[in-house]
Amino acid sequence: MLTTTDMPPGRNLTATAVLVAALVLQVSVANRLPLPGAVTPDLVLLTVVALALTGGPLTGTVAGFCAGLAADIIPPADHTIGRYALVYCLIGYVCGLVSDEMTRSAVVPFVAVAAGALAGTLLYAGLGMMLGDPRSAWEIVRRVVPLQVVYDVLASPFVMWAVLRATRRFERDHARDRFDLPIARYRTLSSRM
Amino acid sequence: MRDTRRTRAVLGTLLITALVLITVDYRGGEGSPLRMLRAAGDAVFGPIERLSASVVRPIGNAFDAITDAPGERRRAERLERENQRLREQLRAQRIDAERAAQLQRLLGSAGLGGYKIVPAQVISAGQGLEDTVTIDVGSRSGVRPDMTVMTADGLVGRVVRVGPATATVLLATDAASSVGARLEDSREIGIVQGAGRRGVGGGGATPLRLQLLNAHAPLRVGQRLVTLGSQGQRPYVPGVPIGTVERVEHSIGSLTRVAYVRPFVNFSTLDVVGVVVAPPASDPRDAVLPPRPKPAQPSTPPPTPSPSGSASPSPSPSASASPNASRTPDDTED
Repeated sequence: MLTTTDMPPGRNLTATAVLVAALVLQVSVANRLPLPGAVTPDLVLLTVVALALTGGPLTGTVAGFCAGLAADIIPPADHTIGRYALVYCLIGYVCGLVSDEMTRSAVVPFVAVAAGALAGTLLYAGLGMMLGDPRSAWEIVRRVVPLQVVYDVLASPFVMWAVLRATRRFERDHARDRFDLPIARYRTLSSRM
Repeated sequence: MRDTRRTRAVLGTLLITALVLITVDYRGGEGSPLRMLRAAGDAVFGPIERLSASVVRPIGNAFDAITDAPGERRRAERLERENQRLREQLRAQRIDAERAAQLQRLLGSAGLGGYKIVPAQVISAGQGLEDTVTIDVGSRSGVRPDMTVMTADGLVGRVVRVGPATATVLLATDAASSVGARLEDSREIGIVQGAGRRGVGGGGATPLRLQLLNAHAPLRVGQRLVTLGSQGQRPYVPGVPIGTVERVEHSIGSLTRVAYVRPFVNFSTLDVVGVVVAPPASDPRDAVLPPRPKPAQPSTPPPTPSPSGSASPSPSPSASASPNASRTPDDTED
């Protein structure tokens, strides 16, 4: 799936495994949590953001598209196929672009998650409005979006930590020939949490 | 530097692919060639979700037990009493040798209404704006698209897609769902539409919206709704309880009034549901509605005879005319 030259092959497998785990956890655990407002954190989006922030725009784009397509066809999904693929692909690309900014400030991941959650929900809903989906009516979207962003930001440290833990092994091999400062920096951050 | 020409090319390709997918799937509707992708998704992710649900369920149960300990004890007591009652019924039934009818009675409301159901458990729930769940029965258990899904409390939704071992259910609260409904007492017909239960504000308690077809029909808070039943009993069988009118909105200049309905089913904690695989032989009307919490006013229209009244373990729900209004309905001791 992820055929990139600048990354060790093991990482592609790990990224795929991480995405599948996020998808399954999303539908069978996260979506059934009885949280106030019945809105749940979007673990798939957070995983895409985490992969993009550590892997760059190409990883983010491809991972986003694959995760989105899987989210479009995983059983309880009942919307037009391709909507999440488009949204997550764009989010992965944009978050990949800021991956170099990770060294500048510790708040970048949180800002990226918040912006990604906001943009992702609005873009998804906007696509729904264009397709005439009754679920994307403005009254519904207006109620959901604020809670969605809050929950995504609250859940982001855990997802980031899990994704970094899962991809760490390959990063370490990778770091031997080209030391990746942003990742090292973020790793120290996440280990402190 | 990282944003190379190659990255842009990949991004462009994938975005166009996504747009093509959306277009093809949208234009194709139900007959879209991409439904094959969904079928593949059902076949691949269905078993994974079943597995994950079986791993997650004990953890969730432990969590629920901690957060809801007093409620659980009450529930345990109630279940114990109910168990006792059911066991007695079962013994009596064995003697009676009317096995089929009695097993149906064991299935509670399903037996009351005469529905044949396949029990199932919810294994996953939909993401984002949609109110859908996956259940762990599929075409192998005889489930087909457009079958009604209910719990002992009332209507849950309908089956929209079926995989080999899983099925996707569109909940009644989803904004894409609309159900024909009938008011319990006045028999007025209306449409119950989902309003989405997610988000801050009003959606939580009253995620259903009722519009009566007759604009002049009386519409009061506290009226109860059952399903009207669809043509050929699909997707909705008649007589399944939906909910109670919670709030009536009079909008000026609008032809119809809108009422907000509190469903009988708690949609955020759905677990065991039943898929109606065979509709009742005759419309059960109000027989499946739970007993009224308090005696009704004498002005209520006379109750309908319930077709399966003899099979009912609880007092007839709408038999609340004045002579026995003082009798307290107590179905645990019957």
